Amino acid sequence: MEQVTALVADDEPLLRERLISILARVWPELVIVAEARNGREAVELFDQHAPQIVFLDVHMPGMNGIEAARCIGRQAQIVFVTAHENYAVEAFRQGAIDYVVKPFDEARLLDTVLRLRQRLSAASAIPVADGSIEAVLEKLAKEMREQRAPQKYLSWIKASVGAAVRLIPVAQIFYLRSDAKYTLVVWQGGEALIRRTIRELADELDPDKFAQIHRSTIVNLHFVKQVTHGSNETGDVHLTDRTETLPVSRSYLHLFRQM
Amino acid sequence: MDTKTSKLAAPALAIAPAGFGRRLLVELTMRRIGIALAASVALTLLLTPIFITSFIELLGRTVFVGMTLLIAFTLAGVWHPSWLPRWVTQVLAVAFAAPLATLAIYVLKVDGDLPAFFHSEERVSGFFFLSISALSIGLVLALGALFRERDAQVRAQALMFQLEKETLQRQAADARLSVLQAQIEPHFLFNTLANVQSLIESGSPRAVPVFKSLIAYLRAAMPQLHQSAATLGNEEGLVRSYLELMLMRMPDRLEFSVDIADDLRSIRFPAMALLTLVENAVRHGIDPSEEGGRIEVTAHREAGTKGDTICVCVADTGIGMSETAVPGTGLSNLQQRLNAFYGDGAVMELSEQTPHGLRAELRFSEAG
Repeated sequence: MEQVTALVADDEPLLRERLISILARVWPELVIVAEARNGREAVELFDQHAPQIVFLDVHMPGMNGIEAARCIGRQAQIVFVTAHENYAVEAFRQGAIDYVVKPFDEARLLDTVLRLRQRLSAASAIPVADGSIEAVLEKLAKEMREQRAPQKYLSWIKASVGAAVRLIPVAQIFYLRSDAKYTLVVWQGGEALIRRTIRELADELDPDKFAQIHRSTIVNLHFVKQVTHGSNETGDVHLTDRTETLPVSRSYLHLFRQM
Repeated sequence: MDTKTSKLAAPALAIAPAGFGRRLLVELTMRRIGIALAASVALTLLLTPIFITSFIELLGRTVFVGMTLLIAFTLAGVWHPSWLPRWVTQVLAVAFAAPLATLAIYVLKVDGDLPAFFHSEERVSGFFFLSISALSIGLVLALGALFRERDAQVRAQALMFQLEKETLQRQAADARLSVLQAQIEPHFLFNTLANVQSLIESGSPRAVPVFKSLIAYLRAAMPQLHQSAATLGNEEGLVRSYLELMLMRMPDRLEFSVDIADDLRSIRFPAMALLTLVENAVRHGIDPSEEGGRIEVTAHREAGTKGDTICVCVADTGIGMSETAVPGTGLSNLQQRLNAFYGDGAVMELSEQTPHGLRAELRFSEAG
């Protein structure tokens, strides 16, 4: 019988070792041809060794397990290894994709091994390409990308302060005002100029917390103490803890009506 | 006109239904009635030497005029046409009501005999005296009331902001409370347990110290209410346990050092604050990086003119934090916790490291 080969990918060495040692007990004939520490390595080593089975940790740095699986496609039997990623486990179950949950025991891995052996012996292990697994993996990959960048609004603004590039929490910003090519950021820790326009920032800041009150000014609503109405349909914003007032132009004054 | 208005007003006051009546009631405050009465009495005192009419009768007239003007002002406020601003309607109502109400008194006095009124020079001049003084006093009071209303609106707006701010502050307090709740992520726990399992199964001598670290970490991360006794030394122990666990999990990607000055171990320190920074360094800097990096935890004293500043710093050489990275609850309210603990002078500053990585610095004075 032809030798069966496998690749193990996990960023945590102890978990790779443990999987390999249990596999050695429950499937002594299996040859582990390579060990990968991340998704990128897994794909490279797969291309190099072409093993029939790939064990992929879901959570890995750089390219994760799901993305690696999408690269490998149906060239191998893929088994996902995961720790408590509920959403992933649910998707695997629905998509009839093999998986084991860490920490697993020998019996659980034995089930997986039996299923793999069955599949490999039947019909030279070419699964039907009905696209269902691909769809599940694509959806999962998208979810994980969104988890990594889960919000579209800024939490921080990076600005040069002296020699350092500071991360200013947006919650501490009083207001932002355009200043020629730059924008002045005034926050609890001081002032800084950033190379971004008010227009760009207006789109990047959470509209529930920040409001543009003038062509050149965005204010943090948290620090607005009061708004006084001036002549000619304009107004002035008074801030908590600040002495300066910010002008509200006619087209933005409606923001402060009905309050 | 006066009888009409009082009829209109009276049932409204009695039933106080929704709509005009309710609004009329709200606008017709005791304060305004009092001011109208006082103005009437003052006017009477002023006019009494000129008029031949008795003081009581004159008072009756001025009170009648005063009340009519107040009702006209109030009605116009509730009932102004859409094409005319409210305040204009109210001022106009007072301007018209003053001569009309005075005229009504004199017409009633002569039992509706208008020619008799016009032929009495005394009455005509009395009418002019009374209506012109009512008009001027009425207008002054009306404008004063309008001004006060506007002032009240500004104050109401300020109050709204205050309310909103207090809501936000309450949310911040809630966030502080959430620090007390368990912060152990299942993913962290199960992966760590799987690693410990591997060490135990292989009979590794490292199993025992790692297990100790896990217990120390779990004990500290459990929700607890009495954290006032926390010191920087406790926190150092917790951070070391956490980093030992992470080192077991990613020995090829993590390096760390913890260097806390001896005399700083006993200072009061907000529980979990240092761990929050170290966890953030792992989550946003080391874990997503294929190469990993180094985490350096330091605490030292800096002498200054206004006393010592204590500087606690967590620096990593990971991939750094993006501008849209969501700060965990612990990180987002750390500044507030520091202020609550050390006073307004305490600061938390995050900055980028070169070539890559994040540096988090806490600065505060012990006394604060």
